[in-house]
Amino acid sequence: MRSASALLIVLALVLSPGMGSAAERFKLPEGPGRDLVYGHCQTCHDLQSVLDSAGIRRGAWDAVLDNMKDFGLRISADQRATILDYLGTHLGPNPPAAGGAEVAKTGPVDGAKVFEDTCIACHQADGKGSPGEFPPLAGNPDLFLAPDFPAVVALNGIEGPIKVNDQSFNKVMPPFDFLSDTEIAAVVKYVRSQWGNDAARPAGFGEVTPDDVATLRKKPMTAAKVHAYRESLKK
Amino acid sequence: MPHLSRREFGKLAGVAGLAFGVTPSFARSVFAAGAPDSAEIIAGKASGMLVHNAKLGVMETPLAMLRKYEHTPKEVLFNRLHFPHQGDAAWYATTAVPPKDMVKNWTIRVDGLVQRPRTLTIAELQARPQEKRVSVLQCAGNGRSFYAAKEKVAGGQWKNGGMGNVEWEGVPLRALLEDLKMSPSAAAQWLTAEGWDQPATPEGSDFAKSYELSDKGLDNAILALKMNGEPIPAVHGGPVRLIIPGFYGNMNVKMLTVLLFEAEQSPSAFQSVGYRMPNSPVEPGQFEANDYTLQNSVPTYGHKIKSVIFSPLPEDGAKSGPVEITGVAFNDGTVPITDVEVSADDGKRWEKADVKKPESPWAWYHWSAKAKLASGKNTLMCRATDALGRTQPIDGLTRWNPRGYEWNGVDHVEITA
Repeated sequence: MRSASALLIVLALVLSPGMGSAAERFKLPEGPGRDLVYGHCQTCHDLQSVLDSAGIRRGAWDAVLDNMKDFGLRISADQRATILDYLGTHLGPNPPAAGGAEVAKTGPVDGAKVFEDTCIACHQADGKGSPGEFPPLAGNPDLFLAPDFPAVVALNGIEGPIKVNDQSFNKVMPPFDFLSDTEIAAVVKYVRSQWGNDAARPAGFGEVTPDDVATLRKKPMTAAKVHAYRESLKK
Repeated sequence: MPHLSRREFGKLAGVAGLAFGVTPSFARSVFAAGAPDSAEIIAGKASGMLVHNAKLGVMETPLAMLRKYEHTPKEVLFNRLHFPHQGDAAWYATTAVPPKDMVKNWTIRVDGLVQRPRTLTIAELQARPQEKRVSVLQCAGNGRSFYAAKEKVAGGQWKNGGMGNVEWEGVPLRALLEDLKMSPSAAAQWLTAEGWDQPATPEGSDFAKSYELSDKGLDNAILALKMNGEPIPAVHGGPVRLIIPGFYGNMNVKMLTVLLFEAEQSPSAFQSVGYRMPNSPVEPGQFEANDYTLQNSVPTYGHKIKSVIFSPLPEDGAKSGPVEITGVAFNDGTVPITDVEVSADDGKRWEKADVKKPESPWAWYHWSAKAKLASGKNTLMCRATDALGRTQPIDGLTRWNPRGYEWNGVDHVEITA
């Protein structure tokens, strides 16, 4: 029931609170499924809700996931099972001792898998996003604004009004800086090659490497700054 | 976690709700990691409020802040939003009033099973007679953290500061609906209210609340345009908020845009699953947060009778010897509160407190009692009773519920003198 006015677009920028990167602020314990929580739960609320609930039974987490479905969480049955295992174990009544070594991510990183676990909830399997809610990645010229641009968005999120192929969006994408440098490079490469996006690739356009992502990670930006960066590239 | 004795529970409650139940150590690190301050999250809020969720602007008022004011000012009043205050919803992340243009173009659609749907503007509401209602506004989840002494429940771990005493002013609802001459159908049994705010994803349930049209609570309801004498701040539901005095916070729909006469209550998850209390006592593991149905539970309507100690608080550094214990009490406003009893010795002896006449049936009552603090630990308790004989359970855990609503157990404060 909204009656949005142009004024709001200005306010959106003025009033956005300065919040640090999500993964930095809310450090979830290591474990399989952690990144699914980072990827899916912050669309609607920040992870303090999850951390403050730490210690509840697996059955209670199960019920929470049902409730979250009512509130808009869309995950596959496999993803749900992984998230429930993660929450029930690592945020359950008897979590394994904290401070363990980081779970080594072994094996080759698959950009398609990263997309499926992290991006699909908003941008959809067909890359078309959702009108007025989440911008499309299919046919999105922003992918080739600059070699590093999509990686900057993935690392820092983006906030502010944008237009993609004449569709307007004004939502907030949270940072996905919990993904590794390799994962971000892989998913950017994947997205740029899917849904016919390849055809829009300018000649000689370089691909972002894990090392590039590592460098970008050392220069964190607010989501609003990323929006300003986009504007500067559009000029 | 085993059920604690009342004494043990008192000790836990005395640490003001911190770290109840099983809290893995990493959970605490979240507070050390530079989480934003309340004043950064909602422009105009006081610094140092207790934040439960930044993205949803959820915060409560530390009691030391809350007790300073007779009417809780917008700067310190607790807050709860249901959807992120970001993007095109960023306008309401402030205690300032909503943008002028927006207010000018604001409409409330009154529709549903009626012969003549209507649309109201703010100017039309302003032109009608206005009435004041001083009422406690309280989050249904206020005190949720105390349930952890039986078994922790998911969600923001509210202490006692999810409440405030607020003066509202606006247009009486029933008279307005009559004057609109809409001729509702006899099949219309429910009134559903919806606000401007929208879920973060297209699949999310919109926020809506439904009330039985016959509910006496609606007799006192207003479409409020003012809070504490000025236009309602955006974050507290401006430009117009449905206020049903004495009802839990969620029933008082913010940023009102729609009122519907309907045969059934809204299917919104916020009405059908969320913000409900089981009809009969439930046990952890036997009844989960997804087991609520329209048949086995009811929405959180009127405030369950409650009293809270405002002074002394643990941080006041009270000395042994004579002390004045003060606090507030309130109920749903349907009958007066008759007694507040206070104990300074963990419930062995109870004294009647002096209870002041409240400003309105729904406002909070101030009470005070003289007592003596022994050196060392003292457990202070208070319990209110109303003219219907409704009182607070000595053991609030008997009302444990998997969503952690409506805590009204006898308040415990542990003071080391």
